[in-house]
Amino acid sequence: MNTPLSSLRSLAPALVVLAILAFVPAIGASNRMLSLAISAGINIVALYGLSVLFGQTGILSMGHAALVGVGAYAAALLARDTGIGFWLALPIGGIAAAAFAAVIGVPSLRVSGHHFVIMTFAFGQLLTIVLTNGGDFTGAATGLDLQLPVGFFGMRADDLVPYYFVVLAFVTLSAIASWAIINSPYGRTLRAIRENEKLAASLGINVGRHKIGAFVVSGVFAGVSGVLLAYFLRHISPSQFASFPSIYLALMVMIGGARLLLGPIAGGILVSFLPEVLNLDPVQSRILYGVCLIAVILLLPNGLIAGLADGWQRLFGASRKQAPSPAAGGKHASEAGR
Amino acid sequence: MRLPPGPCAGGTFIQKTDGPPVRSAQQRNRAVDILIQQILNGLSIASVITLIAVGVTLIFGLTGIINFAHGEFLMIGSIVTWLAVQAGLSFYLALVLAILAVGVMGFVLERGLFRFTLTRPTNGFIVSLGLIVVLQHIVIFFYDPNQKSIPRPLTGIWDVAGVRIASVRVMVILVTIAVVALTFVMVTRSRYGRALRAAVDDRDTAALMGIPVRRYITGVFVLGSALAGLGGALLIALFPITPFTGGTMVMKGFAVALIGGLGNLTGAVVAGLILGIVEGFSAGYGFSAWTDAYSFALMILVLLFRPNGLFGGTSGPKMA
Amino acid sequence: MNAILEISGLKKQFGGVTALSGVDLSIEEGEILGIVGPNGSGKTTLFNVITGVYKPTEGHVTWRGRDITSLAAHEVSGAGIGYTFQQAMAFPGLSVLENVQIACEHARKTSRPYPWTTPAALLDFVGLTALANERAGVLPFGNLRLLGIALALATRPSLILLDEPAAGLNDRETATLVGLVKQFPGHGISVCVIDHDMKLMQMLCKRLVVLDFGSKIADGPTQAVLSDPKVLEVYLGGAL
Repeated sequence: MNTPLSSLRSLAPALVVLAILAFVPAIGASNRMLSLAISAGINIVALYGLSVLFGQTGILSMGHAALVGVGAYAAALLARDTGIGFWLALPIGGIAAAAFAAVIGVPSLRVSGHHFVIMTFAFGQLLTIVLTNGGDFTGAATGLDLQLPVGFFGMRADDLVPYYFVVLAFVTLSAIASWAIINSPYGRTLRAIRENEKLAASLGINVGRHKIGAFVVSGVFAGVSGVLLAYFLRHISPSQFASFPSIYLALMVMIGGARLLLGPIAGGILVSFLPEVLNLDPVQSRILYGVCLIAVILLLPNGLIAGLADGWQRLFGASRKQAPSPAAGGKHASEAGR
Repeated sequence: MRLPPGPCAGGTFIQKTDGPPVRSAQQRNRAVDILIQQILNGLSIASVITLIAVGVTLIFGLTGIINFAHGEFLMIGSIVTWLAVQAGLSFYLALVLAILAVGVMGFVLERGLFRFTLTRPTNGFIVSLGLIVVLQHIVIFFYDPNQKSIPRPLTGIWDVAGVRIASVRVMVILVTIAVVALTFVMVTRSRYGRALRAAVDDRDTAALMGIPVRRYITGVFVLGSALAGLGGALLIALFPITPFTGGTMVMKGFAVALIGGLGNLTGAVVAGLILGIVEGFSAGYGFSAWTDAYSFALMILVLLFRPNGLFGGTSGPKMA
Repeated sequence: MNAILEISGLKKQFGGVTALSGVDLSIEEGEILGIVGPNGSGKTTLFNVITGVYKPTEGHVTWRGRDITSLAAHEVSGAGIGYTFQQAMAFPGLSVLENVQIACEHARKTSRPYPWTTPAALLDFVGLTALANERAGVLPFGNLRLLGIALALATRPSLILLDEPAAGLNDRETATLVGLVKQFPGHGISVCVIDHDMKLMQMLCKRLVVLDFGSKIADGPTQAVLSDPKVLEVYLGGAL
């Protein structure tokens, strides 16, 4: 039931988790931990965009990292050529990525599902090539440095701890934005398109326009994530935004669960911290990611969190049990945050 | 015709005061030579790409699965070749080993993984993404991420009417033509080919008519993998490879398959030919930095106007 | 009685197959028209052309004086034509309530008084209120058909096209369906039904059109059409 109270309740778990995360610097986390956490957070912002596109609308895009790249390069170019800094770069980066998404979306959505995925992959590669061949303007293969500091009401905000809070704030904003979309008529329309396009069209829904819209919305999240990334790494290069980073983003959102409000947070944290916990080197951790992705998609198509929640329900029983669904485990995949 | 700076830079032009510059006959020949060389280069790479394209288009046609890991199959083929040559085997023996090894790998992966995604090909695609990461990094784990190469199996350079042609490139092109022609004949003429095409057209009816569709699916996977293995062996004969080479190649392979029409064998071959010539021209005229972009740009353009590819593809098997 | 939907010279070819070869047909305001014909006679293709799923090879569809031949599917819905599908369609992963909510949220605005403007009213009309929180994907078939009707009604149509609405329903469910459909003309909704169940057609429709191999072979009052020797011949084995 979509009463306002129950909708609000679906936001609660995410807010609780984020509130807990706010205490991480206070418990004396090491610089490495904070760095990892900031990386995870930056990814999570992008993942919320992907969850709107894939989780809600059912569009699988392999060009998301390219959209992040647009935001990152926008930030770097603005800083270098116009002196526009962090706080203004954020909306500009978001809009730039959204515009790019519209440009990719219009032709890509004219083709059917599988062709579409490949198109998005191709656009991602194309962007990398264009950036690499962009000479001095884009920094070519070496990339660009970002020199401007990040200020916040007069204080420096780009040391690890302050930046952690900046990123956490944006993760929270993303979660709330995502929640708002999911629980709105717009979100319902996107889910309708995901569930049955033909039926949606027969009810008056302009499927093409909404798909492009979903792409654009995902672009906004990605662009903001890109700006955050650029100001964190201080150096960006084309290879960071190619097709394979898009695979990692897809992996994160699928492991966490594309349809759940907590999904992006879970996926981002898991993929960033699991190698630390297991003490794996980068190569080993990537093998683990690949294996996890395969395992998750074959065994737990609704993501790890949904699978765990479902396992919990099965073990401890729920008072009201729905009939098993063809998708997976009888979980209300469409209701977020339960 | 004026050439931009490129392989011909350094030649002098005889200029008239009006009209386009006229080059001497000598420079004209050199330009044509280089063009022919570059087209052959383009075609030799396109041969490898076509082998990938044929594999993925066959697999897609019958199962609807977009196997992005196909590029890694190619890479494994190259690695096996490299290992065998390092161990002292001849290139040709190594090539056969590569075909066998990757074919077996395709069999194992189909039976062990892709089989479970036949009812939901999108999952097959996602599985292939995971496979890319796993295969790439397993190779890095056991060896290293650096370039690997083998000594050229054919070092002869032929002089054909003044054009210098590396014989190894011709070998790659010829082998590809032979193998693709064989595949083509098998798919269009043989009994198995007919049954395969029936299964691609309508999987359920084909099954009802006694065609062992599951076995054909495995077969198509093995065939596609073997072709990729061959492609890998041929590729490393031309250039050094890294564990990441598969990634670029597979994208171009899919671009070619899509341009021809996903699921359409003829389309893949023709598109591969076109791409080879285009890339050759581009390199010949000095735009080599953009060579990689052509497959993608071409693909996007083609799909915009002909969403089913130039020759019309299948949309994958009809599901229920 | 005036015609609200007129079809003239409609042809539809798929490659070498002619699904419709020059069909002329009109639907009068306030009537329940039936379309019958053997499998493959072009009935569903006709609906698909009207609702914008296919573009016809030739011919025109005129809705209330306006040519809608080239409209897209969602625009046809916005023009006031509702549709149910041959294979009962719903949004399977969403709840019944959410299904109907979505349909209501995209309903067109009409000035005429319309009884079913809220999800609650729609669910009540088709009798699915008790199942509001069930996932549509697990509904038994009969309820799925009712949901489909609710969704089509939510768009506030002036004409509703029902494609084999009784297929797969037992007698009791069919009777329920007839009871619902008979109420539509009274609320300003004209109806056009495709089905094979002749008893159903006799109960519902005063006028019948028969298609065979993409052309119209009969058009008239139900009883007259069903006794037409041409029609009987096409339906080998009769269906009375």
